[in-house]
Amino acid sequence: MSLANLNFFMSEAATNLRRSAMMSFITTSTIGIALVMMGAFLLATMNMESFLLQMQSEALVTAYLKQEVSITDAKTLSLRLTSLDEIENIQVVTPEQAARELFSNPDDQQLLQIGITAEDNPLPTTLRMKVKAGSQLQPLLAKLKNEPMIDNFSYGEELFRQFQGLSHLLWVSSLAIVVLLGLASLFIVYNTVRLTLFMRREEIIIMKLVGATNWFVRGPFVVEGFIQGMVGSFLAILVLFSSYRFVLGKLAELIPFFAADIGFEQLFKLSAKLFMMGIVLGISGSLLSLRDISRFSKSTPEGV
Amino acid sequence: MIELQGVSRIFPNGVRALNNISLSINPGDFVFLVGPSGAGKSTFLRMLFREDVPTEGKILIDGKDITTMPENRVPYLRRNLGIVLQDFQLLKRRTVAENVAFGLRVIGASATVISNRVQEALEQVGLSHKRRMFPTELSGGEQQRVCIARAIVNNPLILITDEPTGNLDPMISQEIMQLFLEINSRGTTIVMATHNHNLVNKLRKRVLALVDGQIVKDEACGTYAYE
Repeated sequence: MSLANLNFFMSEAATNLRRSAMMSFITTSTIGIALVMMGAFLLATMNMESFLLQMQSEALVTAYLKQEVSITDAKTLSLRLTSLDEIENIQVVTPEQAARELFSNPDDQQLLQIGITAEDNPLPTTLRMKVKAGSQLQPLLAKLKNEPMIDNFSYGEELFRQFQGLSHLLWVSSLAIVVLLGLASLFIVYNTVRLTLFMRREEIIIMKLVGATNWFVRGPFVVEGFIQGMVGSFLAILVLFSSYRFVLGKLAELIPFFAADIGFEQLFKLSAKLFMMGIVLGISGSLLSLRDISRFSKSTPEGV
Repeated sequence: MIELQGVSRIFPNGVRALNNISLSINPGDFVFLVGPSGAGKSTFLRMLFREDVPTEGKILIDGKDITTMPENRVPYLRRNLGIVLQDFQLLKRRTVAENVAFGLRVIGASATVISNRVQEALEQVGLSHKRRMFPTELSGGEQQRVCIARAIVNNPLILITDEPTGNLDPMISQEIMQLFLEINSRGTTIVMATHNHNLVNKLRKRVLALVDGQIVKDEACGTYAYE
């Protein structure tokens, strides 16, 4: 593409955007609204993911050792496990401590005195492990499973599974919504470009008569699509992130334990993705409407 | 320059617009295409700039078969042709100079080339003083002159024109025809479809008469009559 052509496309696109301001506004705002909705879903999913990770990192894993394991062996095991990357610290809880904690209520103390003695305490020695922030829980659990001294362990599995299911559901629904909204906005962009195409039919016919190639005819429309996509996505990013902090604050008020927040890096990546999506939507909508430009630009109706 | 070999055009509804036409037009010729409405004149012209393709036969322009030419080569063919139609087909929101420049812009000509050639073309049609005006501010004859300027701005080998005087009064028609004669005198081949008896009879150029899709008369220095 020569510089003269590019110059022509730019000036044509600018003129056409000005002339069909209402059409341009419809296309730009369609892209903008679709991207705000897509972005909102993606943000919700990312925050949910972040919340889940945070929950994982704050998890406390309790490993119940086998009855025959002595306190000394338990301490040796705890020393060995402390060297694992995922573990921040380990507390060894003897059966006596466990019993005291279990029956910490004054009424329960009497039960303790009546039923349980040092000799017939059924509680096993346990290791309470605090997981390091940002660590994944699953690899740690896999390692613990291989320890012969450990009988079983608990980490709030049910809650965990629910959160993971919710996160998965959110990703799938977000993806579906992104695809649906993408298609819907593509359809609207396609139709508005098609309308402007009919408005400019005469111009296209003349262009073709004087020897313009199909790509030359498409050029200004593609530049317009690019500009509309760019402006639409820029506005969407502005709206999305100005309301993001506000919504997050409200959520924290409503849900006391809600403390999820994705970092700046992720926000930046999401903005870049939305920006690209906007441009792709604008350009592909234009290209789609112009695919049959040869048939569309006949100078005279077929006939004798 | 232009050669038609057994060209027929049959429309999907069965209408035979052109029927086995064979002829040749030499470089620098001025050819009138006459005949009643519906005779196939417009179809004939549309075939020359590959707006339509024959059902049978082939058309050669400058030795190249344009009937089998791929769609993406058609724009390059048209850059060597000038096309002037009856309805002026000017862009109303562009000035006279911008309309004429359009033919050069689409081929990516530089600003200097555009400026010089537009000036030359407008001088040839006598409208250089109205270069900044809009088509709606011009008379019908002047609008047709702008179309002619746009058609000749690329120095085409062939000028194809369909009823260029159809919407103009006799006086203005004569002026426009004078302009075509001048263009022809510089070596451009002209093929013109017309219903204008007086001009055809007065100019005594080659006349091709088309009736029901067939050439019924091909006469050098001919007249309009074809019955």
